[in-house]
Amino acid sequence: MPTIEDPIVHIDGISKSFGRTVALQKLDMKIDPGEFVTFLGPSGCGKSTTLRILGGFAQPDSGRIVLGGEDVTRLPPNKRKVNMVFQDYALFPHMTVTRNVTFGLELKRMTRDRIAARVDELLSFLELDAFRDRFPDQLSGGQRQRVALARALAPDPDLLLLDEPLGALDARLRAQVQLELKDIQRRTGKTFFFVTHDQDEALTMSDRIVVMNQGRVEQDGTPEDLYLRPKSRFVAEFIGETNLLSGPVRHAEDDRVAIDWFGMQIEGRAFDRTPRPGDVVTAALRLEKVGFYDARPETGNAVPGRVVNRVFKGSRTAVDVRVGDAGAAILKAYVDRDVPDDVWLGWESANLAVLQD
Amino acid sequence: MTRNTRILMSIIYWAFVVYLFVPLVLMILMGFKDSKFIGFPIKSWTLDWYVGVFRDTEVISVFIYSTTIAIASTAISLTVGTWISVLLAGRSFFGRTVILGLTILPAVIPGIISAISFRIFARLLGVETGMFAIIWAHAVHNVPFVALVVMARLATLPASHTEAAMDLGADRFVSFFRITLPYLKPALIGAGVFCMLLSFDDFVRSFFLGGYEPTLPVLIFSKLRSGMSPEINAIATVVLIMTAVLGIWAERSMRRMGKGT
Repeated sequence: MPTIEDPIVHIDGISKSFGRTVALQKLDMKIDPGEFVTFLGPSGCGKSTTLRILGGFAQPDSGRIVLGGEDVTRLPPNKRKVNMVFQDYALFPHMTVTRNVTFGLELKRMTRDRIAARVDELLSFLELDAFRDRFPDQLSGGQRQRVALARALAPDPDLLLLDEPLGALDARLRAQVQLELKDIQRRTGKTFFFVTHDQDEALTMSDRIVVMNQGRVEQDGTPEDLYLRPKSRFVAEFIGETNLLSGPVRHAEDDRVAIDWFGMQIEGRAFDRTPRPGDVVTAALRLEKVGFYDARPETGNAVPGRVVNRVFKGSRTAVDVRVGDAGAAILKAYVDRDVPDDVWLGWESANLAVLQD
Repeated sequence: MTRNTRILMSIIYWAFVVYLFVPLVLMILMGFKDSKFIGFPIKSWTLDWYVGVFRDTEVISVFIYSTTIAIASTAISLTVGTWISVLLAGRSFFGRTVILGLTILPAVIPGIISAISFRIFARLLGVETGMFAIIWAHAVHNVPFVALVVMARLATLPASHTEAAMDLGADRFVSFFRITLPYLKPALIGAGVFCMLLSFDDFVRSFFLGGYEPTLPVLIFSKLRSGMSPEINAIATVVLIMTAVLGIWAERSMRRMGKGT
């Protein structure tokens, strides 16, 4: 029995190339039992390659996959305690819902009674009782997705892989399914390895997000970490909406970094490595962290500016504000009330994250 | 399209339909004529020719012989054709084009040439002419049709289906028989019926490779030499109805099963 300290999955320095294209560069990662881990990134970032290597559908050029203490790198998919929810669900069209879910159990040589009990349990757990005898083409997108999930959970895998399984659903259904999926993961206590390019999905469901770019890990952390304390420009821009402020460092002490930004003195936090004075750095500021004031506020940072553009978005308005020497820079922000053209903008230093690149 | 061209095209179409079906209708009508000579006018009608056909033990046994050959050769073609398709599907390897070309070749070689070469080859191997030799020739001739239909169907099978089977614990063998083969079912039914009809209908190969027992087309041919009689029309009509029913059934079941996959 693996204890809670042992990782259920250990990805040990795997690399993979397709011809000249490098898909993964020495990826190292440990995943704890019961974690909901999301690999997030644009297409071609290596997230799907990692998923296929974990599933046994691709072999790494180097490195090992250790699953529950056992090296499974060379094991084919049918010999691994890993199951997958495919992007197109891959439900068997000639089998009913029940037969689809039964498929993996029959191959485990379980007794008939135990199979029936397990199928009943899963179908009621996923609210599919009413559709037992339907064929996949008689189901809606959301129902198919649940059948795919039931089928993958049936053999009781150590690790469940999910390959962008919400991509085929419409926006409203997707939001509902995200919450359902998170709930299912919590109730089953299974380790979920989820792959997506959709930041909303990642932020909503994950315990931990791994942002991938060009075969490397950009940042690995909780959704809050990634959103509020991005390490790189890539992460800051990929997740949420952000202002990027660049300028030379004036002073740096511990994690406090003073930056000269178009003649304005602003202060941010370096969460990882503190830069030296003179370095040109970029800092990320989330749009909704910028506050609007009539007079100079007491916040860590305050700059005067002039509103040059307003876009009404319903519950709030997106505003562009010219700031700095001769209005050389523009800050984007959200505001939920009417603001005059001449305003003071303020934000706390902790909300200005100094990036590593 | 203007109104006039549409009318013109309908006329041409219906003229083609008439051209296609009038000979068949004439053939069927003559089978009911109460006279030994084929031709109009038909003065009186009879079912005697049909009664004769169903009482003729030679016709019945030849019909069974032809059907046996059709079923056996089709079974071989389906097995070999599917085998080749699975081998060639979705992979590129050295010699793939050559194998593909060789697979299709039997379909384009003129029947007479393939029949003669089969005859020579059979003699070389010491294979006697007769049922086995005919089944063999028909099977080889029909493999390309199976391979083409099955390859087309296989190309639409998403890779994720067999991957999902493997993921759930199936080895390649189980995955083929439980996922791939059921997916191919409509293609196999279609190709199978087509093969059976080709085999049943074949004259040249059956003639060259046949032993003492004739197949149905060979029997009809030999009966023709002793003069056209309405009995032949009756045989032909029975065959026509049976093959049409088989063909329509296959087409409908293919459509029904192809739906939603």
